[in-house]
Amino acid sequence: MPSVYVALARLAGFFRPHRHDVEFHLELREHIAMAIDDKMRGGLPPEEARRTVLVELGGVTQLREEARAARGLPWLDGLLLDLKLAIRQLRRNTGFTIAAVVTLALGIGANAAMFSVVRGVLLRPLPNDDEAHLLYLRQSASGLGVENAWFSVPEINDLRGRLTKITRLAEFSTTQPTLFGLGEAREVRSGVVDGGFFEVMGLRASLGRLIGPADDGPGVPGVVVLTHRFWNGALGSDPTVIGKAVRLGGQSATVIGVLEPAAPYPEETEIIANMVTSPHHLSATMVTEREHRMTEVFGRMAPNTDLAAVRAELQTAYGGIQRSYPEIYTPHARFQLNVVPLREQLNSRATTILTVLLVAAGLIFVVACANVINLVLARTARRESELAVRAALLPSTMAVRRTLLVESLLLCSVGATAGVVIAQPMVSLLARFTARYSVRAVDFQLDATPLWIGVALALVAAVLLAFAPSLPKPGRAVQRSTGTSARRLQVFAIAQIAASFMLLSGAAAVVRTLLALEQTSPGFQTANVLAVNLPPGGLGRTAAQTLTFYRNVRARLGELPDVAHVVIGSNVPWRDIGGGPTRLNPRPGGMQFTAEGAAAAPSGEKPQARGRAVSSGFFSALGIRILAGREFNDNDTAGAERVVIVSASVAAALFPGQDAVNRQFRWSDPVARLVNFSEEPRRIIGVVADIDDEQVDPQTNMTVYHPFEQEVAGGRLFVVTRGTKPYALVSQVERIVKGLAPTQPVEQASTLEDIRAQVLSPARVNTIVLGVFASVALLISVIGIGAVLAFSVSGRTREFGVRLAIGSPPKQLLLIVLKQGAVIVAAGIVAGVALGWALTRVAGAYIPGMQSPGAAALTGATALLVTTGLGAALGPAIRAARTNPVRALKYE
Amino acid sequence: METRSPILQGTLDLMVLKTLEQLGPLHGYGIARRLEQVGQDAMVVNQGTIYLCLVRLMQKKFISAKWGTSDNNRKARFYSITRAGRAQLKLEAESWVRISGVIGRVLQPE
Repeated sequence: MPSVYVALARLAGFFRPHRHDVEFHLELREHIAMAIDDKMRGGLPPEEARRTVLVELGGVTQLREEARAARGLPWLDGLLLDLKLAIRQLRRNTGFTIAAVVTLALGIGANAAMFSVVRGVLLRPLPNDDEAHLLYLRQSASGLGVENAWFSVPEINDLRGRLTKITRLAEFSTTQPTLFGLGEAREVRSGVVDGGFFEVMGLRASLGRLIGPADDGPGVPGVVVLTHRFWNGALGSDPTVIGKAVRLGGQSATVIGVLEPAAPYPEETEIIANMVTSPHHLSATMVTEREHRMTEVFGRMAPNTDLAAVRAELQTAYGGIQRSYPEIYTPHARFQLNVVPLREQLNSRATTILTVLLVAAGLIFVVACANVINLVLARTARRESELAVRAALLPSTMAVRRTLLVESLLLCSVGATAGVVIAQPMVSLLARFTARYSVRAVDFQLDATPLWIGVALALVAAVLLAFAPSLPKPGRAVQRSTGTSARRLQVFAIAQIAASFMLLSGAAAVVRTLLALEQTSPGFQTANVLAVNLPPGGLGRTAAQTLTFYRNVRARLGELPDVAHVVIGSNVPWRDIGGGPTRLNPRPGGMQFTAEGAAAAPSGEKPQARGRAVSSGFFSALGIRILAGREFNDNDTAGAERVVIVSASVAAALFPGQDAVNRQFRWSDPVARLVNFSEEPRRIIGVVADIDDEQVDPQTNMTVYHPFEQEVAGGRLFVVTRGTKPYALVSQVERIVKGLAPTQPVEQASTLEDIRAQVLSPARVNTIVLGVFASVALLISVIGIGAVLAFSVSGRTREFGVRLAIGSPPKQLLLIVLKQGAVIVAAGIVAGVALGWALTRVAGAYIPGMQSPGAAALTGATALLVTTGLGAALGPAIRAARTNPVRALKYE
Repeated sequence: METRSPILQGTLDLMVLKTLEQLGPLHGYGIARRLEQVGQDAMVVNQGTIYLCLVRLMQKKFISAKWGTSDNNRKARFYSITRAGRAQLKLEAESWVRISGVIGRVLQPE
């Protein structure tokens, strides 16, 4: 209890020092008076009495100090005094303070922002129940170049029968039906799932109910669950949608619920429906054919087991399955089965880029701290006499340190505050950027992470700053230690250059990638081509009616004055990727094909090609070169001879060095039969240049084109305009199409140029983010070099004066300083190359795709640093050359 | 040779409390004089430290203070022992007797 009283009393004393002080003073005064009276009564003369009393009492001033210390909180008093001093110091050196605060704010802000994005996107647990046990299975066939081969129903059933450490497997596949009944008809992505899917995923309904085991099988009614994003966005969170009857293509279904917000994987879909809504899923081929793969598989790990055990069991099971069907799992195809926690799979793409950015932010922090340390060092060197006096007066060096610590804490907390403020907009920017790599960033929310990161980093920086300068030894009074300071300054300048070099070379590498991407020609026209989705299905039209509809659309739009060409295709480049298997592309990697008289591949490998459907005039309208034969014309109709056009690489694979035109082409893939592709021969009537409509970085790829009228798919309209404002046509297109078919969805009008730009935007944002980081680092470290050299020049004024006086030409002094700058830059670059090499080595072991930036980027970064570094050295060098010898010798 | 000893650490509080218990309310000077009398020439009392001691005891609420008038008609701050102070005094006095007994036995020649 007494200790509590003491604490309270001290606290009161701290806040009201004055009153107690006055009382104490009065009390002592009365004591002295009474004592003097007594002594005088004892016969001492007044002066003598006074002297004796004061001696007996001890020093009055010291006593009052001690009483004050006992009453209040002396350390806090000291701290406040230090704080007052620090504020005064920082206000007096405005330039220093602003430079330090801005540098720290940038360093702390960048890190606070990056850390909170990493935390929110990579580290935050999934909303799914018991997400640590949620697994994602993937079958790949690297021999066929297929990273994700999906699973067939027989494969899933085999796995179900053999696994004990995964309690349950869930199925998910994507289809793209047209959805009727919720506002305007629209083409949607639909996840088709089995009844156990949501239980395995550990997800709940926000509204209504989810799909359960009762919704499995062929005889049940179709049911649809809306994803939260679709319900919230397109449907405006309308609660009355539950129970609505809808139609998915030709299948009717009922909306039964809304899924809670969850990270969509493997694909973002608008709706999730049961198997019965996709007739294909219940067809005999789907259920019995082992090679008819179209399903993604998730699983839940049994309790009391671990991933290693699950993997081991899975490999055994898969090995057994493979041995049972050697004709399917050929050694050449190199089929593999892998399992990872779902969270890891979700993060896989974002991990690399976020790690790179996190390292970049870390480097910025290093550069910022090194720079502020340099500023502090230079200032300390100038304050040496002040510090020496303080060291002499204060009880210990620790007290001087404390003064410095308080100063740097103040500096860093101001910097951190500014940093946290600028981190907020940076976080939202970065989150939007990361959304391109990870679906988890979509529902990213700002939290207090930047704040505590800011606080932590400020503390780190403050301690670094306070302990960087060497203190004058109290015993040795005022003494120049400029030599040590100068050496330390150089070390930190080199550290800055090294870090900047790494950032710059990283930035240069992404700039190069972006430039390369932007300069690659896709091989077809993208400007002034408007792509509009007119999905064909679900309108209850006969095949002939559908064809008439598209013919009419083309004819009517062709009459518009601004329209040069109207053609139809099955795929919009770069946009129609993913979306699950389709009839033209029933499996990843394409279908196998053969041709009469074709050369067999030396490895026995069966070539595979993507299937596409395009209308007459498609290639000439988009400017795709026709290398041989002709393109499709209006005579290539449904009933006419079956014909195809192949891309150059298909022709080269089948008929190397020969003419492919008029040869017979055949789809030979076992899957072709399953999707009703007849194996009948089709005559090759033309060869066109290879184009890649899936990746902006074009890869050679084999494509086989069918006439649209013989293989209706996609219904993508391409309007090539004469004017420069393609979007002005959108309303006319809509009106004309709706005039022909009122319920026809008309969607996603966009020019190919804009689609390409959107696909390129991650690369562009990469460049911007890393470029900004690198520029900031460059700016800070260039200022750093300048400051170091300026400091060194001002310290060597006398030396320069002497040199000039004994006849050195000023040019020589200029060279001395420039050389000093060059040495710092060179040392920094060497250190940067070494550290960068080590970093890519270490990081490369953990992050796939981590690579050295390449010679060009390294050279570019070096050139930039050398130029700007020497530029920064020029100022101090000129000042050195202009030293006035007379004044320099008088100086000090 | 100087034979006056400095006050043992912590014993000043004990002595001040005992003085106040025995003599009732006293001002700082009175306490100092009393300790001087009791200590005679065997002990050095720095009178200033008595005031620091009083500040400490006040903080612990072992004593209370009131302004009043001294015998020779001067304004003075009178200290008196509180209930908590008496309890503390009893505790410390017992412990002192125990310890000094032990020290005495240790120092006694066999």
